[in-house]
Amino acid sequence: MSSRYCGHDGFPTRASLGALWSLGVLWGIATMATAAAAATFVLPPLVQPASREHHEGKVIWADLVTPDVAGAKRFYGELLGWTFNDIHTGTSDYSVALLDGRPAGGLFQRAMRPGEQRQPAWLTFISVRDVAAAERHILAQGGKVLSPPRSYPDRGRQAVFADPQGAVFAVLQSSSGDPEDVLAAPGEWIWSSVITRDPDTDAAFYQNVFGYEVFEIPSTDGSTHVLLSTEDYARASLNALPGDGAKRHPHWLNFVRVNSAIDTAARVEALGGRVLVKPFRDRHGGLVAVVADPAGAPFGLLEWTDADSKEGAK
Amino acid sequence: MNAPASRRSIRGLTALLFAAIAGCVAGGGYDGGVDVGYGVDFYDVGGYDYGGWGPGYGVGPPRRGFDRGRPDGRERGAPHTAYRPASPSRSMPSLPSRSRGR
Repeated sequence: MSSRYCGHDGFPTRASLGALWSLGVLWGIATMATAAAAATFVLPPLVQPASREHHEGKVIWADLVTPDVAGAKRFYGELLGWTFNDIHTGTSDYSVALLDGRPAGGLFQRAMRPGEQRQPAWLTFISVRDVAAAERHILAQGGKVLSPPRSYPDRGRQAVFADPQGAVFAVLQSSSGDPEDVLAAPGEWIWSSVITRDPDTDAAFYQNVFGYEVFEIPSTDGSTHVLLSTEDYARASLNALPGDGAKRHPHWLNFVRVNSAIDTAARVEALGGRVLVKPFRDRHGGLVAVVADPAGAPFGLLEWTDADSKEGAK
Repeated sequence: MNAPASRRSIRGLTALLFAAIAGCVAGGGYDGGVDVGYGVDFYDVGGYDYGGWGPGYGVGPPRRGFDRGRPDGRERGAPHTAYRPASPSRSMPSLPSRSRGR
């Protein structure tokens, strides 16, 4: 009996064998292409050499999503002394920012679609031991998944979420451990705040997800400020949106340690960025400011001396 | 090998190859998979406005030993908060004081 595939003798015809051979070649090409793409997008480990330290609830990384990585590299390089290692793939351009050889953050290129009413921003990564467990807790507490858990070679597993009030953050289960608890050097991220409409209920969300101790911080302006802590270290604050908060979008804001907020803010403007909040004296005695890079991504400047985190410092 | 068996094996092989190719083209995936792109490619909503910030609006970390007392006289750790406040006996935490490499 003959068929399209077999000859009269019941064995495959030359045509059917040829088709199989072609499919095999296609499969091989697709396999190699996929392997090559996966192999080239390898984020560096967070900690080198790897450590066994884990500090759940600590802010351990920040990624900038921007339409202009080249411009961002010029700006942050000149402002903070960062250098960069580029990682290219077929679909993604990513650059790892380094300060004195240590990873300080990531810059991710993403085109802004015409008419898109969105804003480049720094995305805050919080350490977790188990991304899947964090996802369950976040969803149970009213948060939303923006990017489901994904694994990256050497980096670990991460996912992006929004808290119940809409502030976006990420969690990272670092496969190389977390950075040690040391005072950030000038030019490194030193602090993070959630600027939100309702710090009280938002604090409950973050406490239930990450197990923070929550301290209310006395304020003189009548607004609510709370501090999130693990391992007896301050990890972040939650601050009520000033003024008419209903019109403002809750968000995480990360601060870089600087020696002089006034000088750095002036440098931001000289490099094409903007000063959103002029330097003013904060509760610890040093100055803080909020600025934006040339693409509009906001971040904070925070003066902090070595003595500020020692007991009894005034 | 008889003809029906040969036909079945060729059809099976062909289906397997198509499935393999389709899987490769789809690539990566979420749960459990190693990704070939980067999963943070979105922008924030924006509309950030920092009007109203200024003196008195504390946003940074407190110094270690910062007084937890409340200026408005409300009792510390009052039960009206949605969160569980730290014990009144706990002192206000601050940033690490140890420098790298020490």
